[in-house]
Amino acid sequence: MQEKKDATFSYQFPDGDRRLAFSRQSSFRHWDPPLPSPSPSPSPSPLLRSHSFKPYLARSDSTVGMPLLEKPGQKDATWVALILAAVRGVANGSRPMKRLALMISLNVAYSMIELLLGLFTGRVGLVSDAFHLTFGCGILTFSLFAMGISRKKPDETYTYGYKRLEVLAAFTNALFLLFLSFSLAVEALHAFMQDESEHKHYLIVSAVTNLLVNLLGVWFFRSYARVNIVYWKPEDMNYHSVCLHVLADSIRSAGLILASWFLTLGVENAEVLCLGIVSVAVFMLVLPLFKATGSILLQIAPSNIHPSAFNKCSRQIASLEEVLEVSQARFWELVPGYSIGSLSVQVKKGVHEDRILQHVNGLYNDLGIQDLTVQIDYK
Amino acid sequence: MERHNSPASASHSQVIEVNIDIDRDASSFPPISNPSPTSNNKACRGGTCDLSYSKDSPERWDSMRKLVIAVVLCIVFMTVEVIGGIKANSLAILTDAAHLLSDVAAFMISLFSLWAAGWEANPRQSYGFFRIEILGALVSIQMIWLLAGILVYEAIVRLIHDNGEVKGFLMFAVSAFGLVVNIIMALLLGHDHGHGHGHGHDHGHGHGHGHDHDHGHGHGHEHTHDHGHNHEHEHMHGHGHEHQHEDQDHEANTFPTKHQHDHSHSNDMKESLIKKGNKKPKRNINVHSAYLHVLGDSIQSVGVMVGGAVIWYKPEWKIIDLICTLIFSVIVLLTTIKMLRNILEVLMESTPREIDTTQLEKGLCAMNGVVAIHELHIWAITVGKVLLSCHVIIAPDADADRVLDEVLGYIRRDFNISHATIQIERH
Repeated sequence: MQEKKDATFSYQFPDGDRRLAFSRQSSFRHWDPPLPSPSPSPSPSPLLRSHSFKPYLARSDSTVGMPLLEKPGQKDATWVALILAAVRGVANGSRPMKRLALMISLNVAYSMIELLLGLFTGRVGLVSDAFHLTFGCGILTFSLFAMGISRKKPDETYTYGYKRLEVLAAFTNALFLLFLSFSLAVEALHAFMQDESEHKHYLIVSAVTNLLVNLLGVWFFRSYARVNIVYWKPEDMNYHSVCLHVLADSIRSAGLILASWFLTLGVENAEVLCLGIVSVAVFMLVLPLFKATGSILLQIAPSNIHPSAFNKCSRQIASLEEVLEVSQARFWELVPGYSIGSLSVQVKKGVHEDRILQHVNGLYNDLGIQDLTVQIDYK
Repeated sequence: MERHNSPASASHSQVIEVNIDIDRDASSFPPISNPSPTSNNKACRGGTCDLSYSKDSPERWDSMRKLVIAVVLCIVFMTVEVIGGIKANSLAILTDAAHLLSDVAAFMISLFSLWAAGWEANPRQSYGFFRIEILGALVSIQMIWLLAGILVYEAIVRLIHDNGEVKGFLMFAVSAFGLVVNIIMALLLGHDHGHGHGHGHDHGHGHGHGHDHDHGHGHGHEHTHDHGHNHEHEHMHGHGHEHQHEDQDHEANTFPTKHQHDHSHSNDMKESLIKKGNKKPKRNINVHSAYLHVLGDSIQSVGVMVGGAVIWYKPEWKIIDLICTLIFSVIVLLTTIKMLRNILEVLMESTPREIDTTQLEKGLCAMNGVVAIHELHIWAITVGKVLLSCHVIIAPDADADRVLDEVLGYIRRDFNISHATIQIERH
């Protein structure tokens, strides 16, 4: 199930002629960790050198590795500086980032208007809708933040880099959607028990506007508008979660509009029905994403590799004559597309480790494990 | 050692045999069932057991027991409130009952996380299920935020519906009752919090007697409890780095006190370890998140009480109610920030705060035969369980076995990281 990369997401030459900028990056392939000792020898075999990352300038990058945001947690960063940095980060960011920022600002503006209107005219429904929107915006802002910061290079504390944040943002989005579906179910129950149906009518305008804004968002991220996606890069998860978020919101607005219409038609319990359907729909929509992100965060073995492949690899290693035993093989996914593993190999005494390391690394690289640490014990 | 399961059964969860041999430094690790003296496996001395709780780990059962008691109490109070609310036909009481329901939900999440963390590791979930604790805590905290938002929304609704529907007195009474309930549960769950200053290794005894021995993970005043905990704590705390551990303690107010305790006991290493085991309540993150939830609820109850009192006395000062609620909600959110930061750091696979990487690197590079290290990754599977992986480049003539032993020993002794995977490469 290849997902098509359509021309909308053309990152190679987004703005201006940056073609030569790629080659000017001298260190875009390696990462030299800060070491107090002399740097590693100049000529180990490439496999042993085992860099932690593929080239930083992946297809989705359109900037050239500039530090986009200040490191979070710096106590002396003033608010103004942070906001400026954020704006700069978004302006330099990739196209999905810009679109997401646009959507978020639309949503924020709209919810502010709704809140003020609701406060002044005294309509509770508007206020509750505004709150709902604000929560959603907050989560989307976190996604945006994750997009921006995920391109920072790994440093002392975050030795694996910041890409995990995208997975986390996707998980938070999925969690929020689960809460949403639950609260819609509660609302349906409430409407069922209360048997009042007056408060949906004047929300039509707001629901329609909400629907339009969210449909715009779905259009922006339309290549991710599916329930089951194979994730190739960490950004995939983030974009998917954003798309599902706006999709769920638009389904909810559509449901409200539909319920209102049914009520005018005189259908009994229309609200309960529509809210119930929407709740179930959102739940089914978000469950695969939730499971996928959850399994990455839980350090489950990479899902794109079948467990029997792992067994086969370990048996292949164990079948070498110098190897006595393979144990403690653990694998996990840092982000979709990048897997890390560690294992322990017992060998007979006196065997040179180079060959074994190369062999083991080669085997697991074929599987898709990019980063492997092999501990060789001599019997 | 773990053996790889046959492919036919790879899809089922397997029980992984753990054969460990008691090595030279056996004093640091508890004896595990099935020690095998034949294999000379250095890979995970006393460690694989670490990746899946033994079923009768006292800490876990204590935490679970606490939470179960809290859940039962909550449900009892909730039914009382629901009955009272239906009888009095008051929305305020029912709303408060709904808040208690959210408490129950949070406790359920924590309980589930605690229970699930004890599942045995399988090849698919090779690090055990400890991460579930962290995710459960994350979900709990998101719920706290959600509830804070709902409360602010309710305050705004009260502001809008200012035609006397809201009875200030009723609001006040109901939230006072909710506050009392929450305080009881806070005391039950997080007893060591308020008395941190008194918790030296001796004072802990005094407090312990009033409650059952559950609450203090590190405060076992029964001596048998003590020894059981010692080993656990030696697992988790490097004695050279007690300061960083204190950083990680969730109670900021106990931080300075514990420092002083440290300095006074650092002379004798062995003894200080035992004493530290006594006074360091390494609270389970799920119990702590449930405690935060309850604390947040009590803070918000105070806010609602103030709002109710204001509306009761002067119904025209509605705006103060909203302002109060906003302030208290912000306070609640601030209490969750520290825990959220911890959770975030674990989920991002970052180096735990208590490990000093520069010292580790320096120490490793200073060893005989070690030329350089690179690809050093230290990360935690949950708060307190740290793993390390590293590539060590040694001189061409060095003995790889010996260097491996030394490196592993150094890491385990000084930093108490029991799961280290070292790849030795030659120059």
